[in-house]
Amino acid sequence: MQVIPSEERAAHEELQPIHHEPKSFFFKYLWSLDHKMIGRQFLWAGLGFLLVGGLLAMMIRWQWAFPGKPVPVLGSIFLRSQGGAIGPATYMTIFTMHGLIMIFFAITPVLIGAFGNFLLPLQIGARDMAFPWLNALSFWTFALSLVFVILSLFGELGAAGAGWTTYPPLSTNVGTPGSGQTWMVAAVFVTGVSTIMGGINYVTTVIRHRAPGMTWMRLPLATWGLWLTAILNVLFVPVLGSAALLLLLDRLFGTQFFIAGATASVSGGGDPILFQHLFWIFGHPEVYILILPAWGIVSDLLSFFSRKPANWYRGTVYAMIAVCVLSAMVYGHHMFLTGFTPLLGQSFMLLTLIISVPAELLFLNWLRTVWQGSIRLTTPMLFSLGMLFVFGMGGLTGLYLGATATDIYLHDTMFVVGHFHLTMAAASFVASLAAIYFWFPKMFGRRMNETLGKVHFWITLVCLVTVFSGQLLAGYSGQSRRLYDPYQYTFLKHLLGVNRVASYAAFLLLFAQFIFIYNFIRSLIAGEKAESNPWQVSTLEWFTASPPPYHNYDRIPTVLRGPHEFADPEVRRRLGRDFIGQAEELPEAMPPAVASAG
Amino acid sequence: MTLLLAPLPEKGIGLPHDASLHGWRIDALINETSVYVGLLFVIMVAWVVLACLRHGPRHEARFDHGTSTRSIAVGLCIAGAIFFVVDGPLFVNSLILARDVFGNFAKVEADPKSVRIEITAHQWAWVARYAGPDGKFNTPDDIVTFNDVVVPEGTPILFQLVSTDVIHSFNIPNMRAKIDAVPGMVNRVWFEAKETGEFDIACAQHCGLNHYKMKATLTVLPRPDWEKWAAEASANSARDYDPDDREAHWGWDWSEHARI
Repeated sequence: MQVIPSEERAAHEELQPIHHEPKSFFFKYLWSLDHKMIGRQFLWAGLGFLLVGGLLAMMIRWQWAFPGKPVPVLGSIFLRSQGGAIGPATYMTIFTMHGLIMIFFAITPVLIGAFGNFLLPLQIGARDMAFPWLNALSFWTFALSLVFVILSLFGELGAAGAGWTTYPPLSTNVGTPGSGQTWMVAAVFVTGVSTIMGGINYVTTVIRHRAPGMTWMRLPLATWGLWLTAILNVLFVPVLGSAALLLLLDRLFGTQFFIAGATASVSGGGDPILFQHLFWIFGHPEVYILILPAWGIVSDLLSFFSRKPANWYRGTVYAMIAVCVLSAMVYGHHMFLTGFTPLLGQSFMLLTLIISVPAELLFLNWLRTVWQGSIRLTTPMLFSLGMLFVFGMGGLTGLYLGATATDIYLHDTMFVVGHFHLTMAAASFVASLAAIYFWFPKMFGRRMNETLGKVHFWITLVCLVTVFSGQLLAGYSGQSRRLYDPYQYTFLKHLLGVNRVASYAAFLLLFAQFIFIYNFIRSLIAGEKAESNPWQVSTLEWFTASPPPYHNYDRIPTVLRGPHEFADPEVRRRLGRDFIGQAEELPEAMPPAVASAG
Repeated sequence: MTLLLAPLPEKGIGLPHDASLHGWRIDALINETSVYVGLLFVIMVAWVVLACLRHGPRHEARFDHGTSTRSIAVGLCIAGAIFFVVDGPLFVNSLILARDVFGNFAKVEADPKSVRIEITAHQWAWVARYAGPDGKFNTPDDIVTFNDVVVPEGTPILFQLVSTDVIHSFNIPNMRAKIDAVPGMVNRVWFEAKETGEFDIACAQHCGLNHYKMKATLTVLPRPDWEKWAAEASANSARDYDPDDREAHWGWDWSEHARI
């Protein structure tokens, strides 16, 4: 066993002294510097906007199932002037706002804002983020962007309507002159600033504040996922920021960065394709930004609930790093039909297909982790296995879209929509739920109801798969995305049935989330009190109180081993249990009390 | 007459009817990939279900980090094998199809029978221009049609497209043809219809309020019927030509964008 010099421990204690917990409401709940509170702030904001984005999705599903018919409930509240029905202009703002809200203002704050903040310092044995003040600034900048989103929703001429991809010239004043579009581009820019601040903080914290003995290859995989995501954010969100800024200049000051000349009604010397390059240089890493934390979390949970070490830990880490490196080099597959030279398209195709190798390694590691385990099908475990299921579907359907030949037919169809919803939406959402069920006791000191959790899981999984399979099938049959009324086309008329089934599943999916909301609130108030380590797992955060004290650890832990030490016969012999904590010393012999009990 | 036929509805879930000469190559690649993908997915799910059934709470977990050389080698070999078996054909066939078929513009440009059409996309319509007997675009004998593209059967049809406002995407699902129309650049696409009939032309790229209605009809006629239609239409437009209507005088030098 390696020995940590006492000077190193002392240096860590000096670097992160214990601060007193603020008592005033303002400093405790609003301008809090505590990463756990900031994580909770992100969680509430993210879950709130997840509901907004979800309701928008329900309206889209309603339109595909019952085109032009008044929307029940939501229609009579929000669409009264149109008789409760969705018109084409409203429709385009609905799908645009759905996409932007879900990606930037729901999944990002929940997975990265909430769990990144909550977990990173705890899992590496730190007392807080490297820059607590920047962390608070990051949340409040994010809150400002939420104000912009709300302003957009009530914008003159409606909210943003150019699609979440915001392609110019449609997203310039040429196509969407309303202030809603401007507010939304500004919101994306501001939330980008918040994400960059958070990213710098996460990257620095993991580099600088790892507890003594917490080597890179002992980090929990959730931390690896969140840390790699932070790096991608720091590298690529600025690119999105530049695109958003240039677009704002086009909209507000009459520049023409993205408006091309050589046309009759529009003058200009810019290039609309330039925006697509900037957008997708960010946009493709973005899908990994949203899925890497999910991969990391699920990698850990599969090991925890199989009571078995994660299979080939280093392989999982290397695969995630490989995906990060490749993520920046594949974005061109979003642009196969823009008139690329064939050589460029083919290069991007090769790089895109190569990403399947690390993805396969991840899957093999997950499958081999659960094999020969001692599987406990708890709610977090069910959601983790559910992530394998939906991400498997999403990943495999990506193959068709990465190849230039098959993409000719499938590009811009609902097949693409089904594919990216399974990966970015379903997989991230299911992993977020796994994380909430798993870390709830640590965050709030109480346990969630397992039965309700399992009911929530099964309805959610079945509905997610039905909704997005429906999209895959509709796209395979030729339905283009973003159509207000697909049935205008003769070759799509027969797809009404498939779309309806998917819509019914979507409505049921929404209903199932109320089970979750009920369980969440009830557990928050009256849930069973959780002890420090209710799941009997090995990472550092489970060896401090639930919820942890303001300073996380009274004494900064000294890490002795990796994060997945389960089923070690030596540990079982000496401790009488199947796991040992990362910072727990293995006693020389079994304590007599345990020996007699066991 | 064939012109009066409406596009035929499709039946069931599946790829729309393929009316093009080369569309089957895309379909075959999609379907072949589906077999592999389906198989991998079934294996994965079966594995997880079996693990849950056999290695439940009563099973004693094996203390194994999966780090033996043999275990790592097995993992790498499986990943490599899947890459070569599943991704390999997609990559190779995409290269071959780009070279020989969908990207082989040299061959269709050289074919004397080929029909050339210039398309201007705008919110929310497709305007098509045929060169007419003189073979030159933007001359009095050009045929100009609105949301109505008429082409002969068994002949390569070449399109060059522009957009005058936002980005559109020219999409003919029954011909497995799709390409973006982008302001400021000329894009191209070609197909060959193997049967007559009427088919939908759709816009595949969100282009604003009436994107969903940006629809045109593709009519495929037997070659002799088409020749007759073209001669008649060209004579009509020559007769109706208005030299002062500047808006109607668009079109570009085809050969400038014919080779890359």
